[in-house]
Amino acid sequence: MDMRALARPAAELLLKRTPVSIPLITTRSHKTTARTKRSLKIAPHDSFLPSRDGNASQGDHIIYNPPSSEASPFHTPFIFLPPEDPRRQAITRMRAMKGSAQGLVGLGGQTTEKLPPLMNKNEGKKARYHLTPAHMEEMRKLRAEDPLTWTVTALARKFDCSTIIVRTVAPPPKGHLEWLKAKEERRIARYGPAKLKAKAERKMRTEMMYRGEI
Amino acid sequence: MKRLRPSRWNAGQLLQARAASAPLPPRRPFLHQCQLRCLETETSPAETTAIPANMTSSLDGGAGGPSSSRSRISPKLSALHARLSLPKTLPLPTLARALITPSANRDHGANNKSLAVLGVSIINYHVTEYLLCKWPRLPMGVMYQALRGYVGPESLGEMARRWGAEAAHAPGPEVDPGLLQWEPTRIVPGENWGGYLTREELSGFDRRAGDLDVHNGPQKIEQWENHAFASFAQALVGAIYSHSGREAAKQFVESHILSRQLEMGTLFKFVNPLRELSLLCKREGFEAPIARLESETGRMSRTPVFLVGIYSGKEKLGEGAGSSLQMARKKAAMASLKAWYLYSPGNKVRVPSDMFKKGAAKWRAPHIDCGEVIT
Repeated sequence: MDMRALARPAAELLLKRTPVSIPLITTRSHKTTARTKRSLKIAPHDSFLPSRDGNASQGDHIIYNPPSSEASPFHTPFIFLPPEDPRRQAITRMRAMKGSAQGLVGLGGQTTEKLPPLMNKNEGKKARYHLTPAHMEEMRKLRAEDPLTWTVTALARKFDCSTIIVRTVAPPPKGHLEWLKAKEERRIARYGPAKLKAKAERKMRTEMMYRGEI
Repeated sequence: MKRLRPSRWNAGQLLQARAASAPLPPRRPFLHQCQLRCLETETSPAETTAIPANMTSSLDGGAGGPSSSRSRISPKLSALHARLSLPKTLPLPTLARALITPSANRDHGANNKSLAVLGVSIINYHVTEYLLCKWPRLPMGVMYQALRGYVGPESLGEMARRWGAEAAHAPGPEVDPGLLQWEPTRIVPGENWGGYLTREELSGFDRRAGDLDVHNGPQKIEQWENHAFASFAQALVGAIYSHSGREAAKQFVESHILSRQLEMGTLFKFVNPLRELSLLCKREGFEAPIARLESETGRMSRTPVFLVGIYSGKEKLGEGAGSSLQMARKKAAMASLKAWYLYSPGNKVRVPSDMFKKGAAKWRAPHIDCGEVIT
């Protein structure tokens, strides 16, 4: 209340100084048609212009602008082509030619030596098979004794393996999963309308992704 | 913008355009042509020998259907015949019979049930062989959906409407034979067919979509209507097959049903694309798929975009863009799987029924895949 009382004289002061008719920020406008036209005349972006590269074809060609954003699934990658397909034979022949491998990116995948970096560091890791039956027995014992302390993540960290192995080797004691599920449901029951809506929309977006709609 | 000044065009320009195009043929009088067609279908000796005797006798409408003489003078029927460029060997009474659905007339000697069952077989035969040769790796669920997209009751019903078929307000012997007669009444599927569901009833529906209740039939009035219009399209194919032969029926199916575009890429829905792709690579003996980050922008911002490509060894299988790394990877895996399933040998594939043509080239078996990936 007292804040508003304090602010009021300041606001009145501002209003008196800047009448409504004068804009706060002055801009330079073009008063004549000729000047407006001249100011709007902007050269097109380079991607709209034909290539100045000497190697580019000089005849009629298509300018892709904007470029196609998503690769079409109708372009079958090289290794997906069956052996009797003429495309496979053609690409094999072209790859065999020296120096033409660079230009084949659009024609059945890359053959260049340099590949992009891995998405995460564990990508494509080989299985180590380092767990012995004794390890697995211990894992099972720990999980059965105290599933709250020895969670899947904790066991995976202790035995230096993936969570998938823990889930397969050491299933939780009876009723534990139901208890966890009930706990989760109680948590969700406390959600307000905004969180519930966000959750539903997240689920809907995931389904849309699996249908290829987004 | 440049102003157009027709007054400044020289005479040469104007004359040139007309000289280049072919002169239009004189328009023939429509009514005269129509009468000719009716006369031909009635009295052509070639046609009478082509049609079996039992077929001609069954062409006359039964108790509820239009009689043969009425269907011959119906302008709607002649117009439909002419609009579809149907072969002249197909008489108007048969076309009239194709427009009577079993819901309007229970008499199977007068309704289009028998023609529709024949037509469904012909249509399914041509569409299935086309799909199998054109998309040899489609999973079974997508194959069913594609079949439904081409020959489902919704598609065929829409097609029959676009042909200009119109429904009568109520079926009866007095309505114009050029109108489709149907009624939203329930017909117990096994009533007249020995207790079996007919192929028509099975092929048109998707059980999982919930629109087939075996005992109650379609659920909504639009579904009934679609089925009525679709049965006309099916019966018409059956009629063309029985009157004009195999080739004419195939040509009709190709030009009306297979000529339509169906977006195959939109029919897919994946459950666990990463797992499915790695199983596929294992089955086919490719190297295990590895996700690689091709490019990214705005990683720590509100709207990041990641472009992830999936590689098997040095070969790229597919790529996907997403707002998170996991989403981009899943989309890339889905793109790779689609690239596998949507393999096509080419735009002009040969189908087995092409071999019926005289002087056809030697048959080469199409690529048949070993089947979809089972996860």
